[in-house]
Amino acid sequence: MSNAIVVENLVKRYGELEAVRGISFKVRKGEIFAFLGPNGAGKTTTVHMLTTLLKPTQGKAIVAGYDVIKEPREVRKKIGIVFQDPSLDRDLTAYENMYIHGRIYGYDGKELKDRIDELLKFVELERFRDKAVKTFSGGMQRRLEIARSLLHEPEILFLDEPTIGLDPQTRAHIWEYIKAMKEEHNMTIFLTTHYMDEAEQLADRIAIIDHGKIIAEGTSEELKKLIGNDVIYLKLNAPEEVKCLNADFIRGCKILQDGRVRIDVVNAAESLPRLFELTQKNGIRVLEVTYHRPTLNDVFLYLTGRELREESGMKFRMRMRMRR
Amino acid sequence: MKALTTMAYRQLKRFTKARSRVAGMIINPLIWLVFFGLGWSKVFNFPAARAIFGGVDYLTFLAPGIFAMTIFNQSFIGGISVIWDKQFGFLKEVLVAPASRKEGIVGRILGDSIVTVIQGAIILLLTFFLAENLKISGIIPALAIGFLLAIAFSGFGVSLALRMESMEGFQMIMMVLMLPLIFLSGAMYPIESMPEWMKVLAYVNPLTYAVDGARHYLVGESVTKFSLSMDWGVLAFLAVLLLGIAMIEFERTTIE
Repeated sequence: MSNAIVVENLVKRYGELEAVRGISFKVRKGEIFAFLGPNGAGKTTTVHMLTTLLKPTQGKAIVAGYDVIKEPREVRKKIGIVFQDPSLDRDLTAYENMYIHGRIYGYDGKELKDRIDELLKFVELERFRDKAVKTFSGGMQRRLEIARSLLHEPEILFLDEPTIGLDPQTRAHIWEYIKAMKEEHNMTIFLTTHYMDEAEQLADRIAIIDHGKIIAEGTSEELKKLIGNDVIYLKLNAPEEVKCLNADFIRGCKILQDGRVRIDVVNAAESLPRLFELTQKNGIRVLEVTYHRPTLNDVFLYLTGRELREESGMKFRMRMRMRR
Repeated sequence: MKALTTMAYRQLKRFTKARSRVAGMIINPLIWLVFFGLGWSKVFNFPAARAIFGGVDYLTFLAPGIFAMTIFNQSFIGGISVIWDKQFGFLKEVLVAPASRKEGIVGRILGDSIVTVIQGAIILLLTFFLAENLKISGIIPALAIGFLLAIAFSGFGVSLALRMESMEGFQMIMMVLMLPLIFLSGAMYPIESMPEWMKVLAYVNPLTYAVDGARHYLVGESVTKFSLSMDWGVLAFLAVLLLGIAMIEFERTTIE
């Protein structure tokens, strides 16, 4: 069995509303697979179905070799999850939260205590071991939740928007943990996010989801190739008037209003040296070069006509505050 | 068994961290006992009144009722922690665990019931300073009665809370149910002197049997209405029934 997750035509309906509209995908063992999409695309609903918390309306999902509908308890034994919203007992300490989790998952005694200390160290919370969780910052709570989700050594880890609402420094920090988990424990990680940089940084493969459907799937390189071109901007010091360059590797060329030349190529990294040769041969001096690789945002824009906005961090924080 | 003991442990642990809440819980029954009980005990301070209350002074009559009321209130209100867990997300953490849900919820109800009985015990000890004729030997069996009552209403509170989204809704239902159940339990005046239609309601009120049972042990047979076996039987049946319902409800819970 080389697939950790196999999903076939999964559907979730809430009355009239179809939150997930027939998605199919496979996650290979040991890879980081990201669901990238805007809020309300159906990411969390999918995670909840895969983690046995929601019953699918239709379709099939096999997680760690077990059917989520028929064998939910077997699935639960194999998975760990960090939910999008906090799920800690705020009145208890970091250690107590870990301890309760460990016992519910069947751990006990010295083994459990050692594991807790080891994991608190991993997420750098050992100094806050006996402090109540309600005194923790959002980033600390997240880190504790990550440590907790690793306690029972899951085969597959689900991370639902793991860095939502966190500051850039904490996000980078959490990315480090996620990479370390994959590398050190060969863990399969299913990640949802609406941050394209997060998907790009972490994921081996990405599925772009919108309105409950997967609209594209592949590595970030593969997805960007959907657009096809890299874009190079040149500022030239030509003896005469700036003209468009011509060569077999140049797919398109345009003089911009500010006098720069925009050149479309398949692969900017490969094309740049040839471009320099070409300019030199023609006696043109290059003053400035920038090139723009297509981003996942460009891909999303290309596929849906809309931008993948990064706006919900604020909203999330507002909600947290209102809950208190 | 680990899920059971762990969830019980969690509820106890939470209780030890919420000292201010605990103080608040104890003040309410004390207000009843002192301002209501002590006040009326001066009114009923003549021989004919003693006859109405089974031959004891009013505070002695009232004390087991306030004890049962405390247990009833606190165990019912415990259900609200389920709604807290829903809102703060801890419920999901429990639902996604591979441990037996039935065991987990029983552990939770057990933990809550132990907490409730501890509060009942505190109230009971305090009443001994006010009421004259309570039997010290009755404390332990009265607490056992209280424990069954606690299991029954914790179970009820949890089942109700699992179906509710908001604390306000839960509190509404509690407000509507609590006072009538208390007044119709014979805690404050004897069932004997109620009009017939009210008596019927008192008989179907589970709290009645807890008040009656507690009186058996704390005051004596003269002030009771039912036999001890009846009191135990009704409470045990209810505890098992409501615990069972909570188990089934929790087994079915999703996050929809």
